[in-house]
Amino acid sequence: MALIAIIDDDIDILDASSLVLKSKGHDIVTATNTTDGYKIVKERKPNLIILDVMMEEPDDGFYLAQKFRKDGIKIPILMYTSVSKAIGMEFDKSEIVPVDDFVEKPISPEELVEKVENLLHLKEVK
Amino acid sequence: MVVQNSKSNILIVEDEKGLRLGTQRLLEEEGYAVSAAENGNEGIKLGTSKEFDIAVIDLRMPDIDGLEVLKEIKNVYPNTVCFIATAFASYETAIQATRIGAYGYIPKPFTPEEFIYQIEQGIKQRELILSAERLKKEREENLFELASEKSRLNAIIKSINEGVLVLNKNGELAYYNYAALKYLNIREINIGENVIDKLPSKIVAVVKTIFSNDTFLLKTYTVQIEIKPNNELILEAACTPVPHPDGSLAGVVVTLGNITEFKKIEVIKSQFVSMVAHEMKTPLAAVQGFLNIIVDDTINVEKEKRKDYLKRSIVRLKSLTDLVNDLLDISRMELRTKHREIENIKVKDILSNVLQMLELEIKKKNITVQKNIEEKLPAIQADQNDITRIISNLLSNAIKYNKENGSIGIKLGSSPNYLILQISDTGIGMKPEERSKLFSEFYRIKNDRTRGISGTGLGLSIVKRIVESYHGKIEVDSQFEVGTTFTINLPINLN
Repeated sequence: MALIAIIDDDIDILDASSLVLKSKGHDIVTATNTTDGYKIVKERKPNLIILDVMMEEPDDGFYLAQKFRKDGIKIPILMYTSVSKAIGMEFDKSEIVPVDDFVEKPISPEELVEKVENLLHLKEVK
Repeated sequence: MVVQNSKSNILIVEDEKGLRLGTQRLLEEEGYAVSAAENGNEGIKLGTSKEFDIAVIDLRMPDIDGLEVLKEIKNVYPNTVCFIATAFASYETAIQATRIGAYGYIPKPFTPEEFIYQIEQGIKQRELILSAERLKKEREENLFELASEKSRLNAIIKSINEGVLVLNKNGELAYYNYAALKYLNIREINIGENVIDKLPSKIVAVVKTIFSNDTFLLKTYTVQIEIKPNNELILEAACTPVPHPDGSLAGVVVTLGNITEFKKIEVIKSQFVSMVAHEMKTPLAAVQGFLNIIVDDTINVEKEKRKDYLKRSIVRLKSLTDLVNDLLDISRMELRTKHREIENIKVKDILSNVLQMLELEIKKKNITVQKNIEEKLPAIQADQNDITRIISNLLSNAIKYNKENGSIGIKLGSSPNYLILQISDTGIGMKPEERSKLFSEFYRIKNDRTRGISGTGLGLSIVKRIVESYHGKIEVDSQFEVGTTFTINLPINLN
């Protein structure tokens, strides 16, 4: 089982996501802003990062993902998105958005688990 | 018609008394109105004082020549039909008289029949002259009307704010106005010139489509063109085929309208919709997250946790309801469909009511409320609900963003024309850059200090709208980490 970091400013989303992943036997660490998020990833070196795109600023998630990659942190990132696509912030896996997959809110437990397992498994294969 | 309906006026200029009286009597018997002059000078005087239909002028008179009389009369009234009467008829005088403008020549002596015949011929001539004159005048009037109609239409099209261009089938310019040149940034253009190269490609494409079809529909094709980048100037070009009277295609008229402002509003509108969507989706996602877990049998949720999640879902749904209510308020304010009941109200009483409503929250944070209310405050004319909304939004902010054991100061006073309400808190305060965005829709300061404080982001925007709808003023003064003061000036008398 894996250690997963969830970074989201919505505590309700944090709790719900944590519970889903805990029920699959994963350990969870959480943060509600970019500063704390960076810190827990550095210190705890999780196997997977779940990152919300819009926190204090609409692009906080992008910013943090870029910072991780720039600092050589290659842990897979699963990004939570909400309405970013609808409001014209088109994005995909790229250098600007160096993440491995997306989950659109509201989050269905099955989809979340599937995507998490998939990313963790890919890492093992590598 | 004038001639036929009334008596024709005839002037006789004759020095020989017998002949003068004889012809006068003869003509009067025939129903003519006759004036007679006994010499040339008198003839000129009479003949130029009013317009006669016919003048019969003796050629030889003791004072002046009959031709001189003819000349003077013709000079003033060219349409008077003149006869020269003479016993000394000669070919030369006849030509001379005709050249000056005589219609006919009556040789003396003449029989009454011959004379009347000549006069009747003269009357016919006079009728012809007059009707020709009338027709000419009518035609001139019509022409003038046409010309002025054309120039009026031209003036209208030249001065309207919409650009107008008319092209013929070859793409040559048939008509334009200056607004069109201004919008398309064309410096020089000439009628008859092929202007296809000077027009934006989008217009050219539409015009070519219209021209390329054998048959055409009388419908308008519109395109939007960004003339200046960054949405600085956006035009809508409407291209409509112009038919010949026989129905074949003559050309196309292009009208250009400036739709820059509409486009700007469109952008603001869609940004607003996106923001609303995001604000609504956030609590929905949280509630759905909790419910998904609770119904999922593979996830074990303890009984107590389950209750906690449901309670938190209720809180999120409540915030969603608040948001919808605030949005409805804003929409009603924008559409001005909100019905207002203006009455004399005492702000002091409303203040006490709102404080009572918020008592629980004030106690929870152990906040002290200091009131400083002027005595004998005037009543103001307003809708009670509006004032309640202003005060409750400001006070609940003063509680929410205050610190534990903090205080709220409420000052209610007046100036000659305004009621002044001041609400200050000892809360987290704002940085100048945060203060400038304070009244924007959905703006909420997000940082460690505000985490966990719920709100729609519409409260202050609503307060500002209400205050401004009463022609009042709202000011904010804030010091970071010290506190914030809102001051509201409301006119006492709405009129």
